[in-house]
Amino acid sequence: MKMDITEDDGVVKVGLVGRLDTPGVDAVEPRFTAAVVPRGARAVVDLSGVEFIGSLGLRMLITIARALSRRNGKMILYAPQLFVAQVLETASLGDIIPVQPDAASAVAAARA
Amino acid sequence: MAGATPQPPDRIALSLAATREGFAGSFDELRRGLDALPLDARARFSAELVFEEVVANLVRHGARPDGQTTLSLDVELRDHDVQLTFQDDGVPFDPRDRPDPAPPRDLEHAETGGRGLMLIRSVSTALEYTRTPEGRNRLTVTVSRDATARVRMSDGARSGA
Repeated sequence: MKMDITEDDGVVKVGLVGRLDTPGVDAVEPRFTAAVVPRGARAVVDLSGVEFIGSLGLRMLITIARALSRRNGKMILYAPQLFVAQVLETASLGDIIPVQPDAASAVAAARA
Repeated sequence: MAGATPQPPDRIALSLAATREGFAGSFDELRRGLDALPLDARARFSAELVFEEVVANLVRHGARPDGQTTLSLDVELRDHDVQLTFQDDGVPFDPRDRPDPAPPRDLEHAETGGRGLMLIRSVSTALEYTRTPEGRNRLTVTVSRDATARVRMSDGARSGA
C-alpha cells in the first residue's frame, strides 16, 4: 500500500495506491492520520488507485473523517474504482463522507 | 496421457495461523491461487472480500488467547458459483443472525466497525454455519460467478448445516 501526500493552496491531497485490506490499513493509517488530523486539514482522498477495500478500510476513513470534522476540517473522497465504489455504497459511506467523481469536484467541495 | 489438454485448477486449499502475520502471508497465497482460476473480476473481488472479512474477524475476535488458533480454507470453483469453506478452532461464532449496523445518521454518530458481515452478505448468495462435533467453526460462503450479479443475500439464504 502506497500513500502520497501533497498540498495545494490549503487543500491536502492524499493519494492511496494498493489495497485497503488489513495489512494495507496497518501500513498507512498512522501516517495518514498524522498528516491531516492534528492540523484539521481540508483533505481530498484519491481512491482511483485503490483496488480493494474491506471493513477495516471503511473504519479508517470514518475514524479520520470524524477526527477532522471535530477540528473543523473535512474529508472528501473521489474517483473510486467500480467495486470499491460498491463497497462504499453498501456501507452508505457516501451519506457521511462526500464522494466525488474527480479531483476538481473534490477540491471544490473541500473548499466550500 | 499424451495429447491431453491441461485443465485449469478448480480448487484452492490453504491453512494459516489466526494471527496478523499469518493473515498477511495467506492473503498473498490466496491471491496467487485465484490468479490461476478462470474468475471474472467481480467474483474475484467478492472472494477476496469474503476472505478479508472472515479472517480479520477471526484474528480480532475469534482467536483463542493462547495464540494457537488455526484456520483452513477450501475454495471450490463450481459451474455457477464459488464456494469458500472456512474451518477454525477459535471460539464458537455463528455469524448468520448478527444484525447489520444501523445506517449512519451522521459522521459523529456513525459506528466505526461492524460492517464485515454486512459486506459478506452483500456479495454472497448463501451463508451456512455449523459447529462441528470436533469443536470447530465451519462457515461456507457462496459467491456468484455471474459477472452481472450484484446480490444482497436474502434472509432465506442463511442456513445452518
